[in-house]
Amino acid sequence: MLELLRDIVRGATGWVELRYQARRTKTIAVRNGRLEESSTIRLTGVGVRALVDGVFGFASTTDLSERGIQGAMMQAQNAARVSSSSKREKIKGLADAAFATGTFPVMTDDPLDDHPLEEKLALVLRIDERIRQGAKKIVSSSASYSEIQDEKIIVTSDGAAAHLFDAKPEFRALAVAQIDGDQAMGMDSVGVTGGFADLFIRRTPEQMADKAVKLAVDLLQAPYPAGEKTTVVLNPGLVGVLSHEAIGHTVEADLVRSGAITSDKIGVKVASNLVTLCDSGPSQYQPHAAGELLVDDEGVKTEKTVIIDHGVLRSYLHNRESAAYFGVKPTGNARAFEYSDEPLIRMRNTYIEPGTASMEEMIAGVKSGYFLEGLGGGGQADSNAEFMFGVREAHRIENGKVGELVRGITISGNAFDVLKSVDAVGSDFTWDLGAGRCGKGQWAKVDAGGPHLRCVVTIGGKQE
Amino acid sequence: MTDKKLVELCQETLESTQQHGANEAEVYGESVRTITVMIEKSDLQISRAQQETTIGVRALVGKRIGFSSTNDLSALDETSRDAVILSKASPADEKNILPTVADIRYVDGIYDPKAESFTIEQAIEYAVQILDLARGIDRRLILGDGMFSVEISERALVNSHGDISHGDVSHGSVLHEKGSLFNYFALATARDGDKVSNMDYQFDASHTVAGIDIEPITRRTCENALGSLGAEKGESFNGTVLLSPNAVQGILAGLILFQTNAKNVLRGMSRWGTQIGEPVAAPILSIVDDGRLPAGLATASFDREGVAHRRFDLIQEGSLIALMHNSYSANAMGKESTGHASGSARSIPGIGPTNFEILAGEATKDELIGDIKQGLLLTRFSGRADPISGDFSGVAKGAYLIKNGKLDRPVTGTLVSGNAFQALKDLSGVSQKRERVFNFTLPYLRLEKISVTAG
Repeated sequence: MLELLRDIVRGATGWVELRYQARRTKTIAVRNGRLEESSTIRLTGVGVRALVDGVFGFASTTDLSERGIQGAMMQAQNAARVSSSSKREKIKGLADAAFATGTFPVMTDDPLDDHPLEEKLALVLRIDERIRQGAKKIVSSSASYSEIQDEKIIVTSDGAAAHLFDAKPEFRALAVAQIDGDQAMGMDSVGVTGGFADLFIRRTPEQMADKAVKLAVDLLQAPYPAGEKTTVVLNPGLVGVLSHEAIGHTVEADLVRSGAITSDKIGVKVASNLVTLCDSGPSQYQPHAAGELLVDDEGVKTEKTVIIDHGVLRSYLHNRESAAYFGVKPTGNARAFEYSDEPLIRMRNTYIEPGTASMEEMIAGVKSGYFLEGLGGGGQADSNAEFMFGVREAHRIENGKVGELVRGITISGNAFDVLKSVDAVGSDFTWDLGAGRCGKGQWAKVDAGGPHLRCVVTIGGKQE
Repeated sequence: MTDKKLVELCQETLESTQQHGANEAEVYGESVRTITVMIEKSDLQISRAQQETTIGVRALVGKRIGFSSTNDLSALDETSRDAVILSKASPADEKNILPTVADIRYVDGIYDPKAESFTIEQAIEYAVQILDLARGIDRRLILGDGMFSVEISERALVNSHGDISHGDVSHGSVLHEKGSLFNYFALATARDGDKVSNMDYQFDASHTVAGIDIEPITRRTCENALGSLGAEKGESFNGTVLLSPNAVQGILAGLILFQTNAKNVLRGMSRWGTQIGEPVAAPILSIVDDGRLPAGLATASFDREGVAHRRFDLIQEGSLIALMHNSYSANAMGKESTGHASGSARSIPGIGPTNFEILAGEATKDELIGDIKQGLLLTRFSGRADPISGDFSGVAKGAYLIKNGKLDRPVTGTLVSGNAFQALKDLSGVSQKRERVFNFTLPYLRLEKISVTAG
């Protein structure tokens, strides 16, 4: 296929990019002891992007013959050509980059395919059962496993020719507890890039089940907090959510050009000196980040991009088009989810660099506030960096000690105000946003994380 | 790509699934051709042409079930074999069943033959109209995102449950239907110096070329973005909140759909499962789901399993009437499928709504505002609405403070929180005017006793 794509590109006029993708996914989902889904999907096709007269055109096909791919290339070129007269600001060129060539295998000692369907099915059934038996108040249990395996070949007319393999499994455990008609949910999830054993390096599936059960049961008795602006210690999961959702999207160069709040802030102090925020293709600090991406979908080798360096905004996230516009190097953030998607500027693994504080010190320094852990359903942010996240688990902190669990907490604020309020950054590090996907018209597997961190946010609660 | 017709592909795949050892099987095929023109930063971004045929196979061996799908038409035999292998490895479930499909009546108005010859050039013209209109409204506006697309689709379903030869949609023993849909949306932000508004987006769609009208959604999103420019800190209180149709979708629609989904009743996650016939909302609330709604975006003759769509009461004058079922949940609960099997050829059938409508009320929007002493109008809700506990909490976007029966000023960073179960019971107003939010047709709703916290 690599040779075929190369031949087609050699015969093409103008700039073209061909991307072959063969994807296999598996999903096993069990709920209350019943297998709700055991499924596989195979998707294969070629996506073609062409740049003609300063405009991109895109076409995709499932016909993998030379004729089929060439037909798609002509459609893409035609789509670009007929758009040209209506495009106001033409693309002047694409930035040069370190193009990837050669083969990039999945980095694991334990490939997903070495584990048969029966083993994965048995695991999911066993964990679902464990959740259901975990406590008397549990009325609903669920466990699921899914995996995405990709083979991609990316060839561009200006030099990229990469053959990539990728594997991203994930696992979820969910428990619902009930008492007197009142229900509460507890969950835990994990997702990585790599093999089967890599999925459970941080915690075993049994630990995940027990965590979901305990949380669901404890939340049933938990009171609702009052709304207030207060000091909080965020766990790595929430630091990741803040980095990805609230900051990360506002520095995607396409959103910057659409008027995001960061649009004239390069070189400006936007956060506390303690904050260095990055987005990296390769995993940093801990292996197997779920958003791991060694080559992006424009064939550009990825690296670590420092977005905020000790409080100062240093870089946006770029594809080749936006890098040329801003006169910088591409950062390797062009990503497409399926063969039929064109590459967009997307994050990979977004995080805050570890500092020097210990978690105990950070908590001990809070007179009145909260210790917050994990995203609890729904995180949203606007291009003006206003955000709102549900929190999975929130404990009060009183006089430097972690106290009672409260429920129904959301946090909100302006992400840059929150980063300015950071007065302590932990020395630990965890990736903790690997399960699930980020949506921007198409999906992307991403990860995010960091250390524990102390800052000020607005807690949404009851207003009497 | 093969030149074979979709129905033939489905029939052949059904046969090979049975040959691989399935004693019951269902094959669902979808063929979709799309032209899309994307808008970004107030300019054309990219034009796309896509085509894909997907075949999804459900295989039953005894009462064991497996599902496999592909877009690789040279791998259909492998796909049916995979479905059988998955099925054999699965635990049995006595409730697994494929429906018997009969008496499908053809629904009109979802396919416009003119869509077949619709060109990229025409799609670009509509996208340019959206851009020009926004540009003419105010120079501070940026259309961060937008789209105009046409989707021409064909779907076919065949299952081993005998002969599906009734009605006028079928070809021999398969169900088969064509559709066309023009989708368009605009997402606007306004920027004035250092002030950046909340973003707002609006969407609409039409099955026919004649029904395309980009103007209302473009105007609405631009006005909403401009309106929130210069918003300042709000006030904290516990009281009345007026939700726009978009905010109704964000706060309440998800809960209602979750609670009326029979799958969630079987999962032990829906408290409404035991409340059929009982009041779950104020008597001013009535909700229907109508899979045959004329011009409805989700209108189609049959569901993902081949069961006929129909008009269906979910809530009547505040009382819960019935749950939404597919054939599995219906079989498990001793009911008939209500034609709510949802999903694509890539997934096993789930349960979901078709065209979901909250029926219009009697008050105008101004009347709903008129007797509010202190309140908040929400254009959009950005946050979390837990469909199990009913708790919702999030940021009020495009929000206005209401004082003494009038819109006072735009506010930003304001949090609203409450419980949706309670909010439905305390509902104090439903507007006459409704808007379409995707496949939801929704009025303004007035909620009481909601916590509002100034950020």
